[in-house]
Amino acid sequence: MNGFADRTLDEGAFGEKKGFSEGLRTFDAFPKTKPTYTRRSSTGGYTTLLLILISTILSFTELRRWYSGRETHLFSVEKGVSHELQINLDVVIPMLCSDLNINVQDASGDRILAGDLLTKDATNWRLWVERANTLERQGKDLAKEQEEDTHVGHVLGHGREKRRFKKTPRLGRGMPGTSCRVYGSLEGNKVQGDFHITARGHGYMEFGQHLDHSAFNFSHIINELSFGPLYPSLLNPLDKTYATTGANFYKYQYYLSVVPTIYTRTPSPKTPSAISPSNMLSTSSDTIITNQYAVTSQSHDVNERSVPGIFFKFDIEPILLTIREERGGLLALCVRVVNVVSGILVGGGWCYQLAGWGRDVLGGRKKGEKGGMGMLHGGNGAIEEEEE
Amino acid sequence: MPAKSRFTRLDAFTKTVEDARIRTTSGGIVTIASLLIVFYLVWGEWSDYRRVTVHPELIVDKGRGERMEIHLNVSFPRIPCELLTLDVMDVSGEQQTGVKDGLSKVQLAPVSQGGLPISVSSLNLHGEESASHLDPDYCGNCYGAIAPPTAIKTGCCNTCEEVREAYASVSWAFGRGENVEQCEREHYSEKLDAQRGQGCRIEGGFRVNKVIGNFHIAPGRSFSNGAMHVHDLNNYLDTPDGNPHTFTHHIHHLRFGPQVPESVTQRLGAKNAMPWTNHHLNPLDQTEQLTDDPAFNYMYFVKVVSTSYLPLGWQGKNGAFGGQDDALLNDLLPVGSHGRGEDGSLETHQYSVTSHKRSLSGGSDSQEGHKERLHAKGGIPGVFFSYDISPMKVINREERTKTFAGFLTGVCAVIGGTLTVAAAIDRGVYEGATRIKKLHQR
Repeated sequence: MNGFADRTLDEGAFGEKKGFSEGLRTFDAFPKTKPTYTRRSSTGGYTTLLLILISTILSFTELRRWYSGRETHLFSVEKGVSHELQINLDVVIPMLCSDLNINVQDASGDRILAGDLLTKDATNWRLWVERANTLERQGKDLAKEQEEDTHVGHVLGHGREKRRFKKTPRLGRGMPGTSCRVYGSLEGNKVQGDFHITARGHGYMEFGQHLDHSAFNFSHIINELSFGPLYPSLLNPLDKTYATTGANFYKYQYYLSVVPTIYTRTPSPKTPSAISPSNMLSTSSDTIITNQYAVTSQSHDVNERSVPGIFFKFDIEPILLTIREERGGLLALCVRVVNVVSGILVGGGWCYQLAGWGRDVLGGRKKGEKGGMGMLHGGNGAIEEEEE
Repeated sequence: MPAKSRFTRLDAFTKTVEDARIRTTSGGIVTIASLLIVFYLVWGEWSDYRRVTVHPELIVDKGRGERMEIHLNVSFPRIPCELLTLDVMDVSGEQQTGVKDGLSKVQLAPVSQGGLPISVSSLNLHGEESASHLDPDYCGNCYGAIAPPTAIKTGCCNTCEEVREAYASVSWAFGRGENVEQCEREHYSEKLDAQRGQGCRIEGGFRVNKVIGNFHIAPGRSFSNGAMHVHDLNNYLDTPDGNPHTFTHHIHHLRFGPQVPESVTQRLGAKNAMPWTNHHLNPLDQTEQLTDDPAFNYMYFVKVVSTSYLPLGWQGKNGAFGGQDDALLNDLLPVGSHGRGEDGSLETHQYSVTSHKRSLSGGSDSQEGHKERLHAKGGIPGVFFSYDISPMKVINREERTKTFAGFLTGVCAVIGGTLTVAAAIDRGVYEGATRIKKLHQR
């Protein structure tokens, strides 16, 4: 570089001044060789073509990598004072709707009468069992789907889908509505809590309410259980799972750890300082604020003195997970591409020259050796050549 | 000569003989443009090299036997200082009732008079009118209660304060101190009534074990009755002038551990403008809750996450991974100096919080549109903070994104890359121009 610069300066000092373009000309750090002095070879041409091909391929992969972005996981402590947490539920239980009690009891001492908020539809167990069986067959797909749902692009795609519960399938003839589908969303306090479905007259003190023990059957199919805004197509660990029992006094317990999660594509999206379900939905389509959860389940027979039912015990984790898909700047991409291309050009040029040199050296030695051989074994040389 | 010629062939920087060179205007333009680009990119590299970023890491908190400092500054405009007590309880069974060390209560003028502070009286300077002027042989009656161990004279209750202490220790309600000789002498009830309209600000810090627990600010002296924690609510609920006390409060400040300095928060904030970054912020600061119901309970569910902040020059001598020795040492330090390393490292805590409020009479949340939400009945009016410790720990480490060698590499790459590409462009332009010239000539 320095050599070039010096020379341009020298020429600028000594060269004749012929206007602006002449002056500019002196700055040319890339002096071209006069065509008469350059020699073109076919190998050189092929090499150039090859180098161009390679650099195109590499630039293309670079571009693709930039386009697909990269996912960063960021952990932080949730900001703002939170109040509420939306719970979405869609469960089918082979008991009459009127026999079910659905409540949330939480650490703040509140009891939420979830039964009043959720929709209860009489349905038939068989309608859902068939579906559940197909679910079982899809077990592997489920795992795959769950894996996919950890990626931002996928999740954001789901976010654009309809946010409504599916309708209850109509009861066919000869299908009594002996089961109950409970679905809907409710807002609980964002504290440790226990969401439970129990039988009427068991667990809560209600006067004159007692249900015959033989009616108990806490088998269940969970179609949806999620926290935060409802995105039905997002697959949570308990979605599309089921558990069946023949016993009347049976207790299912699920222990959930809820982790607030943000999927985002924008580098600095605007989020409400206090994250509450109502304004969570109003955020842009590039950001989804939801909650993931980890779950362990446990179920066992209970004696007649205990309360049978389905219990979801949830706790909220303080650490918020942000999964961000980001793309580097366009400028950085340009620099990278330029570096790749120039690196290939320079390196390729070098290799070409090196190859030429090697050929010369080897060729020279061969010639020399041959000559030597010829000199040493003058008589044999001719024979050998003949053999070749 | 042959040896030399071999290596000259290896020359990557073939020079063209001066006569064989052509300089063109387009070449000049390309050169200048590429130089400008090079300068711009090198500048970018430089600023990248100079930049200090904060890199958050998440680890499992391995400290043990640690203690945590809670600093608070809360105003209660509708309750006099005399009535407020702060108690700490945790799962280890430790109870600190009526915390006084490190806390000070500031009397605030009534709301109607602006609510400005009147005077600072540190909590432990409580009974100003001590019994010193009394006969040295005087031994006050404890009215059937057992004299507190802290009494000036063993076995006696010489001051109103001591009688109240004695009553609390046997779980008796004390009330206004009527018919108690000591209190009448000290004009306890008159003083109490004089303070009725006043407010109170509690400020300061105290230490707790780093386990699940709660601290609350509730009216009246607290005492433990078996497994029950009871507050003497008589003075709180009996208001003679019909102007009830309420737990309207304003949290000016609540933090667990030392405050991250302003300069640092600014640096963190500048880079991470997102609301959910590790930018240290206390979510409860400047929270205000108003109520007119004396029997009202506020709960804050706080989840505490240990956070350490390691500046650029951090050597790892102490702090972030400190064991029990540090914890013991820290206990000897005065409140407020906890968690500060000599090299500028900080051991503090962030928290997330959920607030909840209910009336002690129970009822539903129907006026807020949640008629299905039934509140629990009973309890103590007050402000409760129940804290839970997260097993995770955030380490914010200041880092340079690039080393000096990395910077040099970057600069070389930028210069080399740009110039090579520029040369290629220039060559293309030149070749194109000559082709066109040839075409014209034909």
